[in-house]
Amino acid sequence: MKNKIFMGIAAVAMVAVLSSCGKKPQVEIDATNTAIEAAKTAEAAVYVPTEFAAVQDSMTAIMADVAAQESKLFKKYGPAKLKLVATLDLAKKVATDAAAKKEEVKKEAEASLAGIKTVLDENKTLMTKAPRGKEGAAVLEQIKTESAGIEASVAEAQGLFDKGTYMDALNKIKAATVSANNINTELKDAIAKVKGGKAKPAAAPAKKK
Amino acid sequence: MRKAWRGVVILLATTAFFLAVVFFLIHITPQPPVVEMDQSRKALYDAQRNRADLYSKKLYNQARVFYDSAMVNWQKENKKFIYLRNFEKVARFAGLATKKATQASENSVSSASNFKVTLKQKIESLNGLTAKIDDMFETYPLTSEVRSRISKGKILLEEANVAYDKGQFLQANRKLTDSEYLLTESYEYANSNLKNYFKSYSVWRNWVDKTVKESQKNNDYSIIIDKFSRKCMIYLSGTKKFEFDAELGKNWVGDKRVRGDQATPEGMYKIVKKFDSNRTKYYKALLLDYPNEEDKEKFRADVARGILPASARMGGLIEIHGNGGKGIDWTEGCIALTDNEMDSVFRIAKVGTPVTIIGSMLDLQHVMNR
Repeated sequence: MKNKIFMGIAAVAMVAVLSSCGKKPQVEIDATNTAIEAAKTAEAAVYVPTEFAAVQDSMTAIMADVAAQESKLFKKYGPAKLKLVATLDLAKKVATDAAAKKEEVKKEAEASLAGIKTVLDENKTLMTKAPRGKEGAAVLEQIKTESAGIEASVAEAQGLFDKGTYMDALNKIKAATVSANNINTELKDAIAKVKGGKAKPAAAPAKKK
Repeated sequence: MRKAWRGVVILLATTAFFLAVVFFLIHITPQPPVVEMDQSRKALYDAQRNRADLYSKKLYNQARVFYDSAMVNWQKENKKFIYLRNFEKVARFAGLATKKATQASENSVSSASNFKVTLKQKIESLNGLTAKIDDMFETYPLTSEVRSRISKGKILLEEANVAYDKGQFLQANRKLTDSEYLLTESYEYANSNLKNYFKSYSVWRNWVDKTVKESQKNNDYSIIIDKFSRKCMIYLSGTKKFEFDAELGKNWVGDKRVRGDQATPEGMYKIVKKFDSNRTKYYKALLLDYPNEEDKEKFRADVARGILPASARMGGLIEIHGNGGKGIDWTEGCIALTDNEMDSVFRIAKVGTPVTIIGSMLDLQHVMNR
């Protein structure tokens, strides 16, 4: 009788050992998925795309691992759980990094917006000083049209900035800054030529390249 | 003692039997395609890193669908009784996912590389077009709408450059497409406008020849205004003596058709009145006989044919006057010279002096190659 009891206990213990860690880590999976969603909401795909792709790939690998364990007679979710914990941390870090990067881009866009507005204001002042001799005024008219186009582009960038799409806003401002700087150089060159007496006062501003 | 040994033997035998059963059960369990799934996941990740989601979207999406189908089927099989599971479908989907992802990856690398080259060429070509537009139409009176389209096109080109430098080729391509549309359309419009304008070149040439011959025959002064080069040329006895810069009506391209169109008329005219400083607000002025009979006839015909509304009125009071030197075409249709140059013209001109106004002395080919 004693032996039978002993054997029964041994069998139960064996089954318990073999099927230990047999519960699917659903809580951890949900938590990690939530963290990945949070990173997505933090625009990780825009601001830290490589890191975000790595997190997504980790999750895909873990889900395959979980599915593999589910296929087994005796399931072992221990390694998957550990990976889930690591991926959860990574997803949280990616979300934080994305927010930091977004803030960085926001600041850059803000500074660039302020910078281009200064250049545009300076261009307006330079236009009043630019030579208006033969064809000069006509070229100035064109510059005015181009400046109006740049101002419209800056307004669009401001709209994007206000909507929180800082990366797109920054790209737009960068392009507008190149155009505004070209005009600035053109005007300064034309004014310098007149002041330096290298050209007749009637000369038009340097031809745009 | 023997009893104890017997117990141990029974226990060992039971354990061995139990283990044998367990190993047998494990052995006959259907095995999922773990390796294949891992390969397809890695292939997908590589494809994404190679931006196949952008440059080989179709293949990449197909690969994703196959992978997801594999996962769904795997989970479906897992819900069945363990010995009834069949992972063949899962393995097939995984294989297809790997194949498509690898193709997408390769395709993406090659497409991105070709795309980069194409975009660079497109950027260079549009840079060339903007330079051409600037050279040819810098002072041409294009409408403000066309001017702002050109300006918008240039800004988009710059935005495309920024996107290109950041490796955002699809965004760069979108910007380039918009820029190309605006710039090409504006250039074609301006070019066809210019070509149409120069259709009158033979007429202008004829007028110039007549005017120069008249100056030669009468041994007197004649004035020719070249609108395209904005020159006022003074001929004496058939030879050009002076050349001054002239400023024209804001809308100088084409003949004057109606009052208020801000165009400078084209034709063979004569000076009919001279106004000194006391009689004009433009320093000094020489009034032309615009509209002449030919202009009146043309105006009447245009009204009759409905080209001009019945309420349209003919322009007039076209002069060569002072107050010029502003560097822009600013008059309502007159020809403006600087006051100094006006003095010179005023001195030699008299009532009856011919004034011929033409579009251009040079033909279109020469104008374009200037």
